[in-house]
Amino acid sequence: MIMAKAITLDGFTKRYGTMVAVDDISLDIPAGEFVSIVGPSGSGKTTLLRMIAGLETPTVGRILFDDKDMTTVSPQDRPLSMVFQNIALFPHMTCRENVGYGLKIHGMPKAERDQLIDEAAKSLQIEDQLEKVPSELSGGQQQRVALGRAFVEDPDVLLLDEPMSDLDAKLKEDLRIEFQRLHRELDATFVYVTHDQREAMTMSDEIAVMRKGTVEQFGDPETIFHDPDSEYIATFIGTPSTNIIEFDADGELARRGTTSVPLPAEARDEERVRVGFRPQYLRAGGGEVEVDVLVDVIEPLGVDYVVHATTVDDSSRLDLVTTDVSKLSPGDKITVGSRLADVFLFRADGRRIRSGAEGGVDL
Amino acid sequence: MFERLVGGPGGLVPNAVQQRLSAVALYAIGALVLLFVLTPIYLMVVVALQSPQTLFSGGELTLIPPTLTLNNFVTLVEQTSTVSYFLNSVIITVSSVFLSTTLAVVSGYSLTRFDISAKTLVARAVLFSYMVSPIVLAIPLYVIFFRLGLLNQYVSAILAVTAISAPFSIWLMWQYFQNIPIAYEESAWARGASRWRAVRDVVLPLARPGYISVAIFSFAVAWNDYTMVKVVLSDESLYPLTVGSELIFQEVFIGWGEQMALLFIISLPPFLVAAFLQNYLMQGFNLGHGE
Repeated sequence: MIMAKAITLDGFTKRYGTMVAVDDISLDIPAGEFVSIVGPSGSGKTTLLRMIAGLETPTVGRILFDDKDMTTVSPQDRPLSMVFQNIALFPHMTCRENVGYGLKIHGMPKAERDQLIDEAAKSLQIEDQLEKVPSELSGGQQQRVALGRAFVEDPDVLLLDEPMSDLDAKLKEDLRIEFQRLHRELDATFVYVTHDQREAMTMSDEIAVMRKGTVEQFGDPETIFHDPDSEYIATFIGTPSTNIIEFDADGELARRGTTSVPLPAEARDEERVRVGFRPQYLRAGGGEVEVDVLVDVIEPLGVDYVVHATTVDDSSRLDLVTTDVSKLSPGDKITVGSRLADVFLFRADGRRIRSGAEGGVDL
Repeated sequence: MFERLVGGPGGLVPNAVQQRLSAVALYAIGALVLLFVLTPIYLMVVVALQSPQTLFSGGELTLIPPTLTLNNFVTLVEQTSTVSYFLNSVIITVSSVFLSTTLAVVSGYSLTRFDISAKTLVARAVLFSYMVSPIVLAIPLYVIFFRLGLLNQYVSAILAVTAISAPFSIWLMWQYFQNIPIAYEESAWARGASRWRAVRDVVLPLARPGYISVAIFSFAVAWNDYTMVKVVLSDESLYPLTVGSELIFQEVFIGWGEQMALLFIISLPPFLVAAFLQNYLMQGFNLGHGE
C-alpha cells in the first residue's frame, strides 16, 4: 500500500567546512500536503531539499518519513521521486525510456511499463513526444516528460527543485496547473523548492520561508501574507513588496509627521519602529495611518495600477496598488493611508511587534 | 588590428569579396597541407606496389608505375616473420588499449565524483608523469619487471606501453567526466538505480566520445611504441611490428619495395582507426563543449 508520507525534520543542520548552509531546522510536513520551501538564492533551500532526498547527508539531525528514521537511508531506498531544476532527462534515451527508467530499475515487465507510460503521457499531453529524444523537445515539453517520470513512479514523496526556473512565464502558468493536478492525482507529499514567492503562494498548502539557513516562518499562504513574523517575511512575500517606513517611537506612540501609531506595551522601549504597509491596503487620500508621498511612476497592470512613489520627507520608496488613477499623475504630492488594523509593526532588527490588548494593530 | 581597415563589417573590402577570399585562402592552405602529408604516403604506396624491375627503370624513381604487383607483400608474408610480428602488435595493442581505457574511466570517474583529498594535486601529478620522456621510465620499469620475473612476456610489454598512455588517458577522462552534470546520476539514484547501475545506464553512454578518444589515443601510443617494447622484450618471437621491422630490414633479400610494403602494413591500422572513429575523436577532445 503506497501512501503519502509525513516528513519530520529534527534539528537538521548542514555545514560545509565553516559555512553553515542549513542551520538547525525542525519542521513537520504533514502527509499529502503541497509544501513550498521559498527563499532567495543562498538561503539553503536546495540543500534542505537534497537532504530530504538523501543526496546530501545532514551534519547533525534526523529525518523521519512517518515514524521511520530515514537519516542514513540512501536516496535509492527512499520512497520518493525528484524533479530537477535542469530537468536532467537522460539525453541518450527516448522520452519513453526516460519516463520508464525508474520502473525498469524496479524490474517491472515491459508491457506493464508501457501501459503506465502511455497513461502518464496522455495525462500530461506528451503522447506525440514519447519516441523522441529530449533534445528534440522544447523546455516546457521536457519538463512535462520529467513530470511523467515522477507520475509513473507513484512516489510517496515528490521533491521538486525549482522545476520552472528556466521556463518562460506562459509555460510556468500551464505547469503550475499541472503540478497541482498531479498533486491531486498522486497520493504524495509534495515538497517544492522555489525562489519565486508567487509560485509558492499560488500552489502551496503550506509555505516555509527560508533565510540564511533557517526557516523564518512556516504556515499557510494566507497566514504568511496577512500575519508575517518579521519584516523579512512581509517584504519577501507579496507583489509589490510591503512598504517599510520608519517611525520615531516615544513610549506609547510611534510618530511620523502628523500621524501616529499606538505601541503595545512590550515595544515601549523601542526608539524607532518600522511600519509595514501592504501596497494593496494603501489608499490615496489617507486613512488612519497616513504618509505624504510624491508620485513617480504609474504602471498599468490591466485592471490594477501600481503607483510607485517616494515619501516627501526622507525619500523612502512606497508603492500602492489601486484601481483608479484618473486623478493621479507623476509629480503629484498626495497623502496615502491605511487602516490601523492593516499595518505591521517591526522592531529595528526586523522582528514583528504583535500588539497586545491595547493596540489597534491586531489582525 | 586590421579588422576595421580591410575585414569585418564596414571594412574597406566588401563582405562578399571577403567571404570569397577567405574561402580561397582556406582551400589554398588545405591543398598545401595535403601536399606535405600525402607526398611521403604516395611515395610509400607507389614503391610498395612496384616490382624492382620497374622501380628504377630509366635510372629515376618511377612515380607513375606501368604495372602494379603485390609481390613485395607476398615476400614479406612468406619469407619473414611479418605475420607473427603483426599478431604480436595486435595482442599488445588491444590489451593495452583495453587496460588504459579501463584505468582512465575508473580513475577519471573517481577523481570527479568522490571526495579524494588533494585530488587536483593527484590529477596534476598524473598529467606531469605524462611529460616525462618514455626512456626515463624505461629503465626503472626494466628493473621492476626483472625483479618480478615478468621480463620477456606479453604482459610486461602491455604494462610498459600502458604506463606511457595511461596518464594522459586518465587526465582526459577526468576532464570529460567533469563535463557530465551530476544531476543525471542523482536523477537515476533518486529513482532507485545503484551507483553501478547509474554508471552503466547513464554515465558511460554519455561519456562514450570521451572513452573512445582515450581508446584511440592509447591505440596510437601502443601501436607505435618502440622504446618500451625494445627494453622489456628480448625474445624475437614476441616482437611487435615496430621492433620486428628492424630485423626484417636487415635481411639481404629485403629491398625498397619490401621495406615500403612493410611500412604500409604498419601504417594501415592507425589510418583505419582514425578514418572510422574521427567523429568521436573530435567530440572527445572537445570535452563536450562543442555539442
